[in-house]
Amino acid sequence: MRTFCTFLLLLLGSVAAQAQVAPSWLEDKLYGGGKMNAVVVVVAIIIVGIGAWLWMQDRRLKRMEEKINK
Amino acid sequence: MKHWWWKSLAIVLLLVASIAALWVPLSPALVHVSPSRIAPGETTVNITGYNTAFRSGIHAHFVNDGQVFCPQRIDVLDDTHISMVVEVPAGLREHMTDVVVDGLNYPAAFFTEGLGEGTEETGCSTETVTTSHQTGFTFPNRSILYESIRNLHFHVPMWFTMIALMGISVWKSIQVLGNSSLHDDRKAVSAVHVGLLFCALGLTTGSIWARATWGAFWTNDVKLNGAAVTALIYLAYLVLRGSVPDAYKRARLAAIYNIFAFVLLVMFLFVVPRLNAIDSLHPGSGGNSGFSDLDLDDRLRVVFYPAVAGWILLGAWLYELRHRTLRIIELQNA
Repeated sequence: MRTFCTFLLLLLGSVAAQAQVAPSWLEDKLYGGGKMNAVVVVVAIIIVGIGAWLWMQDRRLKRMEEKINK
Repeated sequence: MKHWWWKSLAIVLLLVASIAALWVPLSPALVHVSPSRIAPGETTVNITGYNTAFRSGIHAHFVNDGQVFCPQRIDVLDDTHISMVVEVPAGLREHMTDVVVDGLNYPAAFFTEGLGEGTEETGCSTETVTTSHQTGFTFPNRSILYESIRNLHFHVPMWFTMIALMGISVWKSIQVLGNSSLHDDRKAVSAVHVGLLFCALGLTTGSIWARATWGAFWTNDVKLNGAAVTALIYLAYLVLRGSVPDAYKRARLAAIYNIFAFVLLVMFLFVVPRLNAIDSLHPGSGGNSGFSDLDLDDRLRVVFYPAVAGWILLGAWLYELRHRTLRIIELQNA
């Protein structure tokens, strides 16, 4: 269920973003360095996303470990 | 150790592909010209290159409908900037004039005024000997994309991985229909969970890439909306599972739903975007060609395929972890 909520937030975030105009500093950042920054952001999102998923998985196992220890 | 080989392979493939995707230089290209309009008479033209190494003595010429004219003077300012003085002839036939500098072509660089029935032969050389090229392995340098072409190796494998995981899931669901096995049902839901993770990553990374190339975080592109609908269909799969308390009933219901979900995934991600009646910004969809039309596409493929294989193996690894965790939790609760 937690995955579900995270996913929904991410999805809504990306859909909601269509309505707003990006601030110019963000635009400069994304377009900077021959658009290399867009690649850096994409790689960062993937690492953070998979990291967050593993973290959630870790918590699940931890809860179970605590149960076993009791 | 024998069960670990494919996990090691995943790490090696991801490492090699990611390093290559970030490190390989872009091939040189002309990225900007000014002014954007030229008219008959003496004109100063400034040209900006990317990853170029302009040196004095380089060759440049202009092409208009097959007619060639050359600049009178070329000043090399630095590796990426040159300034040219050109006598634009009157009576050129086409509105769009191309410029070629050091063998690098910039098509339709200038809007041309003072058109006519053609000019006399200038006797200008069109040799395209190049001196400033990056040699060795490079990625194609495409206008609008530039460095962000590297995202091909990160954003697209997310979707390949999601489709592979949903494929595993539907395969397990078909088995559930035959054997009513809760074990296979658990595998099916584990694959969907990890598949949705990659779907979320695909949507967000795509959104960033879209901002950098198409100018908006979300467009009404058919593939974007198809992907969003697919995500909702699979979220509904999880909701459906949560609403059925009986385990065997849940397994069978979810299996049937999952088969429909996969059919819709194929429709939304593969069939609909390829219909010729629908325009899509995505390469390989609608009237838009894929990356394969680039002359250097094989250089992208050399990195892209290992990246896809690596990400799919990583997805399979996460799926296995998820499944094992769920299994232990169920055993513990039993």
